[in-house]
Amino acid sequence: MASRLTAILLALASAYSLLLLRPKIGSFRLPGNQQGYEPVQPIAYSHRLHAGELQIPCLYCHFSAERSRHAGIPAASICMNCHRFVTAPLGALRAEDALASKEKRAPRLIVSPELQKLYDALALNEKREPDPSRRPRPIAWVRVYRLPDFVYFDHRAHVNAGVACQQCHGPVETMERVRQVSDLSMGWCVNCHRQANQAGINGRQVHASTDCAACHF
Amino acid sequence: MRADEPKRYWKSLAEREGGAAYSERAAAEFDETPFAAGPLGSRRSFLQAAGFSFAGALLAGCRRAPVEKAAPWLEQPEEIIAGRSYYYTSTCGACPAGCGLLVKTRDGRPIKLEGNPDHPLSRGGLCAVGQASILGLYDSLRPKQPLLRGRAVSWQEADREVLKALAEARRSGGAVRYLSGTLTSPSRLRMIRQLLSGLPDGRHVIYDTLPAAAVLDAHERTHGVRALPHYRFDRANVVASFDADFLGTWLSPVEFTAGYSRLRRPFEQSPQMSYHVQFEARLSLTGSKADRRIRIAPEELPWYLAQLCARLEVKAQRSSGARLESLPILDDVAERLWQARGRSLVVCGAEHLDAQLLANYANELLGNYGTTLDLRRPSLQRQARPGDFAELLEEIATGRIAVLFLDGVNPVYDLPDGEQLARRLRKLPLVVSLAERLDESAEAAAVVCPDQHYLECWGDAEPVRGLFGVQQPLIPPLRGRAALESLAIWAGAPKSAADIVRETWEREIFPRCKAKEESFERFWERVLHEGWVEAEIEHPGPAFNPAPAQASLHRVTRPAVAGLTLVAYPKIALLDGRHAYNPWLQELPDPITKATWDNYACLAPATARKLGLTDGDMVRLEAGPERAVELPVLVQPGQHDNVVAVALGYGGHLTRRFANLGPRWLGWRPSVNAGGYVGENIAPLLERDGGTVRWTRSGVRLVPTGKRLALAVTQDHHTLTVPPRLAAADLGRRPIIEETTLEAFQKDPRAGAQGHPPPAEDLWPRDHTFPGHRWMMFVDLTACTGCSACVIACQVENNVPVVGKDEVRRKREMHWIRIDRYYSGPLGDVDVAFQPMMCQHCEHAPCETVCPVLATVHSSEGLNQQVYNRCIGTRYCENNCPYKVRRFNWFDYARDDRLANTVLNPDVTVRSRGVMEKCTFCVQRIQEARLEARRRGEPLRDGEVQTACQQSCPAQAIVFGDANDPASKVSQLLKSGRAYRVLEEINVRPSVTYLRLVRNRREAEEEERHG
Amino acid sequence: MAELALLAPEPLIAGGKRPGQVTSEILATTERRASPLWWAGFLVAFGALAAGIASVAYLFSTGVGTWGLNNTVGWAFDITNFVFWIGIGHAGTLISAILYLFRQRWRTSVNRSAEAMTIFAVICAGIFPVIHLGRPWLAYWIFPYPNTRGPLWINFRSPLAWDAFAITTYFLISLTFWYLGMIPDLATLRDHTPSRFRRRLYAFFSLGWDGSFRTWLRYETVYMLLAGLATPLVVSVHTIVSWDFATSVIPGWHTTIFPPYFVAGAIFSGMAMVLTLVIVARKVMRLEDYITPRHIDAMCKFLLLTSGIVGLAYATEFLTAFYSENRYEQFVFLNRALGPYAWGYWIMVVANVLIPQLLWFRRLRRSTAAVFAISILINVGMWFERFIIIVTSLHRDYLPANWTMYRPTLIEVGTLVGSFGLFFTCFLLFCRFLPVISMSEVKGAIQFGRSRPGTPAPEESPLPAEVHP
Repeated sequence: MASRLTAILLALASAYSLLLLRPKIGSFRLPGNQQGYEPVQPIAYSHRLHAGELQIPCLYCHFSAERSRHAGIPAASICMNCHRFVTAPLGALRAEDALASKEKRAPRLIVSPELQKLYDALALNEKREPDPSRRPRPIAWVRVYRLPDFVYFDHRAHVNAGVACQQCHGPVETMERVRQVSDLSMGWCVNCHRQANQAGINGRQVHASTDCAACHF
Repeated sequence: MRADEPKRYWKSLAEREGGAAYSERAAAEFDETPFAAGPLGSRRSFLQAAGFSFAGALLAGCRRAPVEKAAPWLEQPEEIIAGRSYYYTSTCGACPAGCGLLVKTRDGRPIKLEGNPDHPLSRGGLCAVGQASILGLYDSLRPKQPLLRGRAVSWQEADREVLKALAEARRSGGAVRYLSGTLTSPSRLRMIRQLLSGLPDGRHVIYDTLPAAAVLDAHERTHGVRALPHYRFDRANVVASFDADFLGTWLSPVEFTAGYSRLRRPFEQSPQMSYHVQFEARLSLTGSKADRRIRIAPEELPWYLAQLCARLEVKAQRSSGARLESLPILDDVAERLWQARGRSLVVCGAEHLDAQLLANYANELLGNYGTTLDLRRPSLQRQARPGDFAELLEEIATGRIAVLFLDGVNPVYDLPDGEQLARRLRKLPLVVSLAERLDESAEAAAVVCPDQHYLECWGDAEPVRGLFGVQQPLIPPLRGRAALESLAIWAGAPKSAADIVRETWEREIFPRCKAKEESFERFWERVLHEGWVEAEIEHPGPAFNPAPAQASLHRVTRPAVAGLTLVAYPKIALLDGRHAYNPWLQELPDPITKATWDNYACLAPATARKLGLTDGDMVRLEAGPERAVELPVLVQPGQHDNVVAVALGYGGHLTRRFANLGPRWLGWRPSVNAGGYVGENIAPLLERDGGTVRWTRSGVRLVPTGKRLALAVTQDHHTLTVPPRLAAADLGRRPIIEETTLEAFQKDPRAGAQGHPPPAEDLWPRDHTFPGHRWMMFVDLTACTGCSACVIACQVENNVPVVGKDEVRRKREMHWIRIDRYYSGPLGDVDVAFQPMMCQHCEHAPCETVCPVLATVHSSEGLNQQVYNRCIGTRYCENNCPYKVRRFNWFDYARDDRLANTVLNPDVTVRSRGVMEKCTFCVQRIQEARLEARRRGEPLRDGEVQTACQQSCPAQAIVFGDANDPASKVSQLLKSGRAYRVLEEINVRPSVTYLRLVRNRREAEEEERHG
Repeated sequence: MAELALLAPEPLIAGGKRPGQVTSEILATTERRASPLWWAGFLVAFGALAAGIASVAYLFSTGVGTWGLNNTVGWAFDITNFVFWIGIGHAGTLISAILYLFRQRWRTSVNRSAEAMTIFAVICAGIFPVIHLGRPWLAYWIFPYPNTRGPLWINFRSPLAWDAFAITTYFLISLTFWYLGMIPDLATLRDHTPSRFRRRLYAFFSLGWDGSFRTWLRYETVYMLLAGLATPLVVSVHTIVSWDFATSVIPGWHTTIFPPYFVAGAIFSGMAMVLTLVIVARKVMRLEDYITPRHIDAMCKFLLLTSGIVGLAYATEFLTAFYSENRYEQFVFLNRALGPYAWGYWIMVVANVLIPQLLWFRRLRRSTAAVFAISILINVGMWFERFIIIVTSLHRDYLPANWTMYRPTLIEVGTLVGSFGLFFTCFLLFCRFLPVISMSEVKGAIQFGRSRPGTPAPEESPLPAEVHP
């Protein structure tokens, strides 16, 4: 008799605790799964602004994705292609110009603090010319997407096959700070390969190898 | 990441988004105190708490990996893309042979050397030493700074010291001597001339540790030019070699191997091959490939040559009346040579004037000068003048030298009286060493101005007259200063190495080249792109004067051979010991003895039996008064009974670095001997006469010490015939290596086939179809010389670790490709067969069925894949592999030298402890080629994928390709009658096919040899 | 009548025990303080175990390189010990299951310890496949479980995977069987033990056993069924273990004779081990009356039979090799008998085939000393059998260039010693805290052969067991 009561209570209690655990279970991730990782970067570079609003194509900065296994983080010199001239958010610049014309004076130079970091890294003076007195020091970005050493991933293969960057990296053009969208688990890779072999990539038939040695060697 | 703002962690997306609300909820959950009163309450809360702690444990499990930074360039360099490999031409500086290189660089650092396929000498091959020389670049023990009497000083200080001494010498007319090995670099020679020209008594003395002085002297006598002919093995249909190891260590092995093997590829369409007879005392690599091998004592060599010449005289009706003794073998050789007049070649490697004179005479009689020996474009290696060196040693002894430069030579180590020399060097006013590393001589020098590695500075080479190669820096200098720059400074005209080299080429080489480009700039660009250029030669070949040769023909008499003769020889990997610092080369098994990490006294089986010695017995070699060296014995079939052969290049200071090599554990034993060196230096036992060190010394004594030393050999059993008492009748010999004679092959291309064909039908349907590519490899056993270049190439390409002597002794070497060496025939003059053995990528792979975790599976392209990160290390696959080509990581092998780690191939995983590994058919190269082809939108062409072993093979014995492509080379080879697979009868269906070994012999001959 | 009586079998239990006496005497083994002999044994065993733990710890910290293995010989001591211990296990299941089904009454006095031995042996065996791994911390990968790798399953073609299942099954079944058989005795313990802590413990594990006839009825049914279930395991487990070798391509391994050969060998070695143990136990625990020469005699006959089978297998191997005309096969067996490991081969032949022939003599079967010596020799022999099969097949296989020798290191020896340590530690603890002999079953057997004259008749009528309400 007593034992039966015990059994019932046990069952109820476990059911209840499962109920309470639900959110945790839902968000449970295996060790090593970095999904959702969103580190703070040395310079608050906004993909939303550049890729989203300004519509700069991904491959403009990450050009090596076409020709190398690494997509590559663009060199500071590539930022300077624009930021030699654009030193602050356009709004701020326009406002300053307007103000200047109203006050009949030459517009003052406005440099956003984030871009200042870029200029510092390149050791440029306020005229954005090399300043011999200072040493340039590279910018140490924080890697977001990382694969274990025993995995060989090649951007070249995917970009040339026509896989959209967003396929793996998610809607980067909407992110202020880049977040790891996919969990980068082997299952995630393999399933995509399988689908590509069946459905092809935007209509084109492709061969996405599912051999181990496609990634592990 | 900013310091003021800590990194944000969260346990779940809910927490990330939920923010405040979430934290409330979370707090509420844990608010309720566990084990509240009341029987029901207690249990429920207990279970709750239990549940949460469980979830907590799981969440604690998903720990964030440490933050990893990535720092891109500030200025994007042109045409360099991170993660792409670029190939630059250069010229190998590992030895003076000057083979052409393509240096694979990745993100600004060279990581692999490959032969330059367009280079006229090396033709795409590269030897083991060349392959390994890249490790020298990343040698962290190379001195960064100059040393002044042992203490590190600034370059200015060192230069001040040198300039002071030079000025002093200039004033007082003191002697300045520049001692170097043979330098083939025009720029280097120019700078040395410049340095010495300004001095009243300055001389450049050349001294070779691997000399060919006798050849030079002989040609001075017979041709009037002191030149080393450029031997053209690619034209020689009959080769008679007298103790010249031209496939292994003599002059330019890669070039010779390439040429030699070109004429030794019998196929159905052209069932021909050259004939090669070798007269030698010890079993050399070259001898092991000979169709006919005659063991002679070193003393007999000139006499054999004389007899050969006498026979040729008769055939040429120019007999000078030399006595002919009955020697059937020589009759046969002479006949063959004579039949191949003008397309034959007699080479002699002995440092013996008479022998060399006779060799020249033989070649002259055969009309080989101008065809197989080229004196118009002589080789510029080994130009030493022993006379000069003897003089120099005299001067050093008497101390009549103001400044002595040592450039790339190590006489303190090489010379029998090295210690004495070292003492004398210390007494000299100033000795300046330009050694890359602190060797014995550098330690004796007052000033050491370390030179740079050839991959980090500008340089050039002229290995053969009129053939120029360029060396370009491929990485910012890691150590030292370019010798060219040092010389320029000391000559009083500081200049960068780049300028010096360009100057030389603009002034001296460009005009001679008759280049199509009008401007030097364009020419220079082409040179840098191609890596080499050929200049015109106008002067004709010199005339021949028979008198001196005939004189020695009559002078030479047959010596009485008695007692033991010591023969010192350079080893494939270590040569004269200049690369003794290189662990790859130390661990490379000698192709013949299969021993690593030691030198040893090779004895003929008969001699060993007579003395009651076996492998590993320590003996004391005594030569002359109080000169003795203790060495382990190694019984070497095919060696002459009166010879004890010992390798040079061991026991040098450069090997002290290996004291702590290898994985450390209870059973660990050092890779060095009691003295702290690897092996023993044999030099003290040799004799120096004048400027040359004699490599042979008769009348040595051999005293067993009763001690033993286990040699680290990678192969214990040397024949394919199992011990008779363990073999049932007639099943003794195993059909692992199939061989046949040329005669038989001409009759039937399938001659010599032994293995059973596999069953046509399988019990179960093919479990692999190969829709795309089907990778296959062919290894031509006839072409393979066993030179082991592939072993090192594979080691570099695939990040194969060095394990040290003790581990090799335990049969745990890690090489993915090994070269099995089997003897056959009578113990006295054995036949040798080499068989490169790597993973056979079986279609029915035994390893695949037994792995419980699917760590080794078959790919859709016929590769047997090994997945390191899935492997749990049961070693079942290794046990079940009939070829035993799998390698297990018994320990975590040391990778603690950060600088040395930069040589690692970033495309290949570095394996950790406890996982299995093996040959992958260089799958990373397949991937690279495939992806590049896809990027260009073209199909993968045949030959575009080359495995590392294939690329480096000087004999081009390895062919790799896609068998699904009917036009590919492998598809053609599949049809060859010589094709066979090892262990075909067990039906594992290997993807590696071997081409049967063919020896240029008559069947009858083979019969009486093997019965 | 009398002469008829003489034909009746001699009693299984000596000394004309009464049930109560049985209970008290067997309980005594758990209640009286441990004899110095027990302590001595325990200390030795535990020392060995400690050595084992030390060597395994070093192995884990440093790597498999601390063993004497090499590129050619990938398995040696590790798998030898594994197969050896698995073999030992078999006798237990055989005695408890098969002999039960065959109604062999004499098993009652030895089955408990035999089953215990099985459990401990399987534990020892189970350790080796784990520690022999290059990366033991990933051992769980050998079981199929849902994962995020695609998913990636295990290789169901691999005998090692089969092993994993076979052995876990075997362990679980044996454990259940052992425990089930012990329940009535646990109840008895519960009712007799003075210490209230131990009473609690026994009470828990006896699952509220009341010796009612209904309970007994169901108990017997379950026991019977489980015996039926366990029987196939006697054959299956070692068959699967033998497939580790039989399915390979290595000459000397690749042979169809292995399954029966291994099973026979297993029972052989198992029986030998049981003998070794009970002979010690009956002395140390003073159970001469319960484990009588008759039991020993019966087991010796088993040895004789299985030794014959094993010997036949040895011979057959040579015949097949000779008959096959396969040069590699022939070489392997010649190499075993005459090669560098010939000494091991001949130890195996002498200990497993020749020496057991002595057991044809009744007198030897009856002398515990002799049997003890023989059983130990057999164990040695059977260990070498596995060693020879594994090492000699590997060290000289197809390509002569690969031929090597294998020499064990101290660490390996330590591990072997350690496994024995573990085994005996467990067994001694078992002798100390649990009834070595199944009281309930023995009580069923005390009547056996009582009709034989000269055996003292019991004063009171025997009941199955004291009934506790």
